[in-house]
Amino acid sequence: MSSPIPNGPGRLSPANASAAGRAESAEAEVRWRPARHARRLLTLALAGLLLATLTRRPEFAGLAAPALLLLGAGRPGLPTRFLVRTRLASSQLYEGEVGALDVTVDDSELDTRWVLQAGRGVEPASATAVNGAAARFEFTVPRWGRRQLGSVTLVLHDRWRLAEGRVAFELPGVDCYPYPAVQRTRVVLSRLPNRLGEHAARVAGEGTEFTGVREYVPGDRQRAINWPATTRRGRLQVNTFAAERSQDIVLVMDATSDVGTPGSSALDLGLRGAAGAAQAYLDGRDRVGVICYQWGGARWLAPSLGRRQVYKIIDTMLAADAGWARGDAFSRLPRAALPPGSLVVVFSPLLDQRFVETLRDMRERGFALFVVDVLNTQPPARRAFTDAMTSRIWQMEQQAIRFSLRELGVPVVHWDGAEPLDLPLAPYTRRPLVAHR
Amino acid sequence: MTAPVRLAAAGAAGAAGPRLGAILLGAACVAWTAVPPRTTGLAGTALAVSIIAVTAGALRLALADVPQPEDEYFLAARVRAWLAFLALLRTLPWEEIAVVAILWLEVQHPARPWHTAALGAGLAGYLLAVHIAESGAPARRLLRRQGKVLFAGACLVALGAGFGTLPAAGPGAGSALLRVVAAAAVIAAAALVLPRRD
Repeated sequence: MSSPIPNGPGRLSPANASAAGRAESAEAEVRWRPARHARRLLTLALAGLLLATLTRRPEFAGLAAPALLLLGAGRPGLPTRFLVRTRLASSQLYEGEVGALDVTVDDSELDTRWVLQAGRGVEPASATAVNGAAARFEFTVPRWGRRQLGSVTLVLHDRWRLAEGRVAFELPGVDCYPYPAVQRTRVVLSRLPNRLGEHAARVAGEGTEFTGVREYVPGDRQRAINWPATTRRGRLQVNTFAAERSQDIVLVMDATSDVGTPGSSALDLGLRGAAGAAQAYLDGRDRVGVICYQWGGARWLAPSLGRRQVYKIIDTMLAADAGWARGDAFSRLPRAALPPGSLVVVFSPLLDQRFVETLRDMRERGFALFVVDVLNTQPPARRAFTDAMTSRIWQMEQQAIRFSLRELGVPVVHWDGAEPLDLPLAPYTRRPLVAHR
Repeated sequence: MTAPVRLAAAGAAGAAGPRLGAILLGAACVAWTAVPPRTTGLAGTALAVSIIAVTAGALRLALADVPQPEDEYFLAARVRAWLAFLALLRTLPWEEIAVVAILWLEVQHPARPWHTAALGAGLAGYLLAVHIAESGAPARRLLRRQGKVLFAGACLVALGAGFGTLPAAGPGAGSALLRVVAAAAVIAAAALVLPRRD
């Protein structure tokens, strides 16, 4: 089974091409100071000399000799300026993907040590302390979001390790994309807009899928003549084919409620599902857009084609909390965000009543809706009777919400985030989805 | 056994040697100084402090690979106590405290120049072993670089012990101090004539 990640986010789109392999150089100024080892030797030397003087016992002066010789054998001028290069292999990663950071200092005469302090939400995937003029640190980001990588400290020692210099560098941030769900099949509407695509429509056209045979009329192509049928019927018969159309898909991401264990919460599953769906529909030459619905507003991206649209969609979802297009409901969104006749695929735990009302409103306006339920948790219930009763009522409310949506003609499927998205969608991907107005 | 596990095991084994060496040298220095046991003055206190400091230094080296967890709220008392203990181990200069306590314990004994000289060599070795253990520096390369200086230092330790065995020229305190000044002058001269390190 191939990975749902096509080639990694840093290598596909031209927008990412500049970010991939981002290198920075900086001149670092180092302040040298005695190393811990030098301080210990100094303590031994001073204590020995002091005791020798106080007790008038020369053997204590001799005891201080090795430390004094090590400290005083000479201290040449150490360089104070270094050119440090940092290079991030990619500033965009998928969840769990291993990223790499290369650091180099131009002076190889000194003993050099690099220490990585990983930022919050960033997990080192290799040793965090490396000796040498050049080092490579590998890391992973387990959960989507914008993360600061942390900092890296360059520790320099002279050859006898008696002087120590330290410089810390702040590292750039990385965008971690949700790992896309596996989806290869697509839900296709029965009524498709009159636009060239890859889905076989119900109307006849110039596609490749055979639909039937009819009598020849002047103007038909000669190559379309079905000679066996013509021989049987005694009149010229021609093959007919289905037209091939594309559809508009609008992914709706419900960010109003995030429940569940971090890493497999409703929002995590919604983002992964939406990313997988965007990839699947864009592979089918459909136009895909996204609307992120959250408290008090929505951020949207108009449907469009192409591989870059996957990353635009994910970027839109990641930046949802900084949305600029705000409104109370989808009715205020421009027509470009929600084109008529589009299939709306919703990823939601269906916990926010206002969001459910919004879905009902959309359905009443004639949109073909499809809901992927990403609720995978329940309220904690103890043995107390009232808790059990409350939990039962809550479950019944949830069932009622889903039932009411189905009654409106909105399919609701549950997805647990572990299995491919194709499995819950299977009943709807085998034949075109008929959406009654 | 997979390659990363083998590497980690090899790394742990490589780090264990210098750490064990440092711990043994520290314990040997304390034992060497404590014999014969003294009860006069602050000998008992110095012995206790040196044992605590060497033990704490050994624990610091042994727990050097234990990571400091990220700041979190509402930690259990047990975890907070453990973190405080780790911070105490990593903050105080245990080796310096141990050196001063051991020297003070040695002062409590009557003059024994060659014993003190051996202690000096042991303390220098202890500090070098601690440095190698905590820095991960290649021991052989480090000792090769410093070999000549360490050899000169060993000669001076022996010379200091020799000065200690010489009888004082006269009965006064100034005469005894003269021996110390002579030893310090030899050390200073040796430091001046040694080639500068590269």
